[in-house]
Amino acid sequence: MGTIIETNNLRAYYITKAYGVERTVKAVDDITLRIQEGEVYGIAGESGCGKSTLLRILLGAYQPPLTVVGGEVIYHLDGEEMNAADMSDEQQRDLKWRTISYIPQGSMHVLNPVRRIRDTFHDFISAHRDVTKKESFQLTAEYLRDLGLPEKVMASYPHQLSGGMRQRVTIALATILWPKLIFADEPTTALDVVVQRGVIQMLKDVQQKEGSTLVLITHDIGVHANLADRIGILYAGKLVEESDTKTILESPRHPYTRYLIESLPSLDSREERLAIPGRPPALDRPPSGCRFHERCPLAKDVCKTIEPELIEIEPKHFTACHVVEEELNGGHSVYA
Amino acid sequence: MNLLRTYILPRILQWALVIFVGISATFLIPRLSPINPVDEMIGRMTAFASIDPHAVVSMRESATALFGLEGTLLEQYGRFWARLFTGDLGVSFGNFPRPVSDIIAAGLPWTIGLLSVAILISWVSGVFLGALAGYFHDRRWAQVLERFVVVVYPIPYLIIAFVLIFVFAWWLKWFPLVGGSRGQPGLTWDYISTLLYFGFLPALSLVIGSTAFRFIMAKSLTTTEIASDYVQYAELAAVPKRKIILFYVARNTMLPQVTDLALSLGALFEGALITEVLFAYPGLGFVLYNAIYNADYNIIMGITLLSIAGIATASLLIDLLYPIFDPRVRLR
Repeated sequence: MGTIIETNNLRAYYITKAYGVERTVKAVDDITLRIQEGEVYGIAGESGCGKSTLLRILLGAYQPPLTVVGGEVIYHLDGEEMNAADMSDEQQRDLKWRTISYIPQGSMHVLNPVRRIRDTFHDFISAHRDVTKKESFQLTAEYLRDLGLPEKVMASYPHQLSGGMRQRVTIALATILWPKLIFADEPTTALDVVVQRGVIQMLKDVQQKEGSTLVLITHDIGVHANLADRIGILYAGKLVEESDTKTILESPRHPYTRYLIESLPSLDSREERLAIPGRPPALDRPPSGCRFHERCPLAKDVCKTIEPELIEIEPKHFTACHVVEEELNGGHSVYA
Repeated sequence: MNLLRTYILPRILQWALVIFVGISATFLIPRLSPINPVDEMIGRMTAFASIDPHAVVSMRESATALFGLEGTLLEQYGRFWARLFTGDLGVSFGNFPRPVSDIIAAGLPWTIGLLSVAILISWVSGVFLGALAGYFHDRRWAQVLERFVVVVYPIPYLIIAFVLIFVFAWWLKWFPLVGGSRGQPGLTWDYISTLLYFGFLPALSLVIGSTAFRFIMAKSLTTTEIASDYVQYAELAAVPKRKIILFYVARNTMLPQVTDLALSLGALFEGALITEVLFAYPGLGFVLYNAIYNADYNIIMGITLLSIAGIATASLLIDLLYPIFDPRVRLR
């Protein structure tokens, strides 16, 4: 199992210029990721920390004002190494759906309201495969049956389906061509917990059937706990901690991650949960040094001036924190 | 059956009610006027000549009967409906004693032919050009097209029509100045080609303005539509552009435009007054113009009734047909 997609020191900023005032929002700043073939990689963080932006870049679906200003995204697909920046529109288009697919945030409105579900499926399938309408209907019917969706949704219009059903149909639509790499942006947000459960199970099924790679973005740690093999914690456009799900949930090291995990309600303790003090910083003028220092109870002087590097504090557990680094005293920077 | 009772029947009742109220109002309004048309007519006839008083009295009687002004208001109203149901709209004053229904029937085919062709052409081209220009808004041709439309749109109709007449009919003499056709009416190419020849300029004058209007509407609707999640998602999935424009963009921007199309087709029965007068085209608008000019009340009433029925029927048809265009209003 090799790497399927990697980023090296990726920087992507929203650069806007109006009336001579330039504004730069550093939504993704110096992120290095290696996502392995066949794994479920979770990306977690608060709203506005750059999760969706990172996903857009990974997916190659972005337009100005979002600009990649540094670093690179490399796909390892079909035994070939492809740099996203060097690919033509044509190549990008060829990859979509057959190899790389996307389950969008807020699936409520991604289905054309005046088109029957089966026709939408035909549009998406025929864009990548030479099929007749009848063939795509058959393919769709089989796939929906496999995923346990009622066949009558085929002839329905989107407004006739419930929110959970629409989300499941969208997942089916995104994965009908068995892509190797699936990106899912908040696939369970805005669904009630019972429906969430079904959607999570379905994502699991889809991923396991073909051994696809799933990159899952959500702020809901519970969903990550259910699905993800590894989790990367994003804070203010930076990757602050990364490890396997068990480690992140049981022994997080970065103070931010610890807050995130500790704020989760638990069954055996009824005491009030601690919230993270303060608010996430605005990314057009991020704090100096460690971006978390303003909200961090452990912050020292060094945190205010020097940016901590992501270091491997134990095998496959990376964190970017001066305090943790000092404690270890002798940890080494991984990507240096 | 349920569909009939909950959806179709109430709409048909509403349609009947609108027509009833509209026609009653057309009956009532002229009768509230202090001018008595019988006195007016006799006044006109006796203004320059003295007429035997007995003749005046009998003339007054027959005119009162002819205009349906005998008896109380309620009696008149009853007779008015009775006559309406037999298709009797009275006689024209200007072309006495030609029946109004005759005159309207003569003008109607011209108007329907001219306007329906002009409306359909401008609707289809406006909606689709607007969708294309909205979708490819960063292309050069789309920007040029939009500038052109924005310049043309505010030009008053009269000026467009005059320029067309001046350039193509008077100066270049490519098209006729007056009339609707030439030769023996019939289903021969000779006759139909003269219909097209005579109808071209008036139709063009109408098409220019209303295409521009629909283009601007379609373009702004498209701008919202291409930002919608389903268009963005289809683009991300690399669905072919042709399909996106047709089934994702135009199909959705069409919805409000369908209503607009049906209402313009309903308004067809009023005729295109200015067009028909300028091009001396023998349609309803021309008839209406002459009727207003000659205070020919019965014709004005007849055309008003027709347009009430036309618009009410058009809105009924949209209501009944709209579920075909928008599945969201379909009953489950």
